[in-house]
Amino acid sequence: MITRLLGLLRKETIQFFQDRWVLGLILWLYTAEVVLCTYALSFEVEHMPIAVVDQDRSVSARYLAESFGLSDAFDVSYRPSRPEEAADLLAEGRIGLALVIPSGFEQAHRSQMHSEVQVLIDGANAHTAAAARNHALEIIARLEQRRPAMNPPMARASAYPVTRIWYNPDQTTTAFMALSMIALAGMMVGVIHPAASIVREKEHGTIEQLLVTPIRTGELFAAKTAPALLMGLLSLFPSLLIVSWFGVPLRGSFLLFLALTAIFLLSAIALGVLIATVSRSLQQALLLAFFGLFPIMFLSGSLTPIESMPDVLQTLSLGSPLRYYMNIILGIFLKGAGWPELWQEAMWLSAIGSGLYLLALLAFWRRIA
Amino acid sequence: MMPHRVRMLIAKELRQLLRDPVSMGLCLLMPLVMLFLFAYAVNLDVEDVSLGVYDADRTPASRALQHRLTATAYFELKRQFDDTARFESALQAGEIRLAMAIPLGFHERLLRGERTPVQVIADGTYPATASLAAAYASAIVRAFPEVDAGAIEVETRIWYNPSLRSINYVVPGLFAVILMAFPPLLTALAIVREKETGTIQQIYASPITSAEFIAGKLVPFGAVAFLQMTMVVLTGYFWFAVPFRGSAALFLGVALIYVMTTVSIGLLVSTVTRTQLAAMLLALIVTLMPSFLFSGFLFPIFTMPVTLQLYSQLFPAGYFMEISRGIVLKGSDIAAVWPQILLLAGYTLAVFAIASWRLKQKVA
Repeated sequence: MITRLLGLLRKETIQFFQDRWVLGLILWLYTAEVVLCTYALSFEVEHMPIAVVDQDRSVSARYLAESFGLSDAFDVSYRPSRPEEAADLLAEGRIGLALVIPSGFEQAHRSQMHSEVQVLIDGANAHTAAAARNHALEIIARLEQRRPAMNPPMARASAYPVTRIWYNPDQTTTAFMALSMIALAGMMVGVIHPAASIVREKEHGTIEQLLVTPIRTGELFAAKTAPALLMGLLSLFPSLLIVSWFGVPLRGSFLLFLALTAIFLLSAIALGVLIATVSRSLQQALLLAFFGLFPIMFLSGSLTPIESMPDVLQTLSLGSPLRYYMNIILGIFLKGAGWPELWQEAMWLSAIGSGLYLLALLAFWRRIA
Repeated sequence: MMPHRVRMLIAKELRQLLRDPVSMGLCLLMPLVMLFLFAYAVNLDVEDVSLGVYDADRTPASRALQHRLTATAYFELKRQFDDTARFESALQAGEIRLAMAIPLGFHERLLRGERTPVQVIADGTYPATASLAAAYASAIVRAFPEVDAGAIEVETRIWYNPSLRSINYVVPGLFAVILMAFPPLLTALAIVREKETGTIQQIYASPITSAEFIAGKLVPFGAVAFLQMTMVVLTGYFWFAVPFRGSAALFLGVALIYVMTTVSIGLLVSTVTRTQLAAMLLALIVTLMPSFLFSGFLFPIFTMPVTLQLYSQLFPAGYFMEISRGIVLKGSDIAAVWPQILLLAGYTLAVFAIASWRLKQKVA
């Protein structure tokens, strides 16, 4: 039995490494794509081109315009003289935000009166717009603190926030992006590869040849899933190098991470096998994989926050293994979370994983053997 | 190019497509699933952030401050803590995303007219929401108990999308993603399957030229893509009430060019790969991922480093996305979008030329 299994494993491994293109593309997903996305993607507003219309031409107005230009968020690219020109620039998409300082701004500001500035924002990308608005309000609030005390400042009872952001004090997206790309790569490759390898044997009819040999179905199943698991775990290491190169800390236990990743990969592979058993051609299998992967990725919180989704989708997201894995990977790497904090996620992940695995085994038995 | 031969090829391709109702159904269902997921799941605004509060003061003032936070749609009170020491494990387990500690004597110090600190801790692992949630919480705390008078009043106006709804932005962008997701994948898979099963040799042996072969693939897959897009446009307009401000004819014209672009990329993919799995993975990397991540669909391009901005320019989805958003959201006319149209057309021609050149090499 062991010899049969070893022989099968050898065949699967050889087949796995035979297709150089596939190997290269999988490696690309685990490495190059992680680097690209980590470098490129962020929801932060940086160097957004803006226009400043200064109709006041006073010291305060210049100071305000300067503080917009000095912030990392904005680059003052245009200084039109009339608000209408700024509006045109906004319409053409050349700028994302326009600051209009009306005449009389400084006078009103100095005399503690009601002073007004106008901020126009291109709302097309809702998130960028919201972030830009917050940056703008922050800059203006800072100017306010500098307000010269003409009258002795009125003592005002107020609460003030002392805000701290934990686990990611610089508020960069680097760590989040790198880790979520690794999770996504694991999910995609984990589903697609076993699905394709089984359906190809079905299409070519070679699976019949395997079935007439003394090989048991369970052995065939194990041989189909093991190389994918091994490959998935091995591909982690180049990704981890990249992650550490980006300076993402590993605060928790590496062994716990590996163990939970194995469970996660098994649930992805099981899904792949399930897809393979129900589809008749490779095209069907790949499309089905697509069809299943999309919601799983979407409802995982790797792209958008789960809390903001409607209740139905929040409930559906409980079925996405990626959701638990995202919490686990972020927890172990960034928060230094261990078993006491993560056991619930781990249990959910194992429950979904083993459920899928059993289902896949059953389907494999009925449909293939 | 002989019209009747192209017609025959199209008929063959259509029959193959229709023979597999599962694939066909998936192709038509998938864009709708994507649309609904994007529309409902992609909400980048902060909502219902789970909040943990440690209230050491337990006075009307401290309760009022809590209420200010929980009365908004941004925060949802998950748990009351008895000390700040438990914050850490709750944040680590992801039970709460924001923690607030109101110190002892909060009420009294306010009565005496003092400025009083309130601690706000945000979980920074989900950066998109952490900074917004922290900013909202800080703003609410700062405005407590009364709003500052005599401050600079900022009048913010958000154009094109005043309610900051993500859906208006997402739907026109989704056209670019959907048209990029399916036609290239289907084209590439169809051709590589012929390679795998060897039927492509029969085509090589027949008098069919590579231009005819390409046209035979282009028309049916283009038609499927067009059907998908029409469904998405109609669902967006009627179900999600996404406005369509510009000219529909212009939009359809540009979309036609874009469909050809995407099919040509599928052709190119099929000429370099030998197995369907490789074709799918390559299609994923050169079509779906860039159209999703590097096109400005969700992530703005201007924040990317310059080299990666160049990388994002390699893929045509971004060009079409600008056109599509311009026409749909801003009502742009042809004068506003012609540079992108030219780019798209040039891109298509170039990819077609490379693909048919590679195909010819195979034939010869």
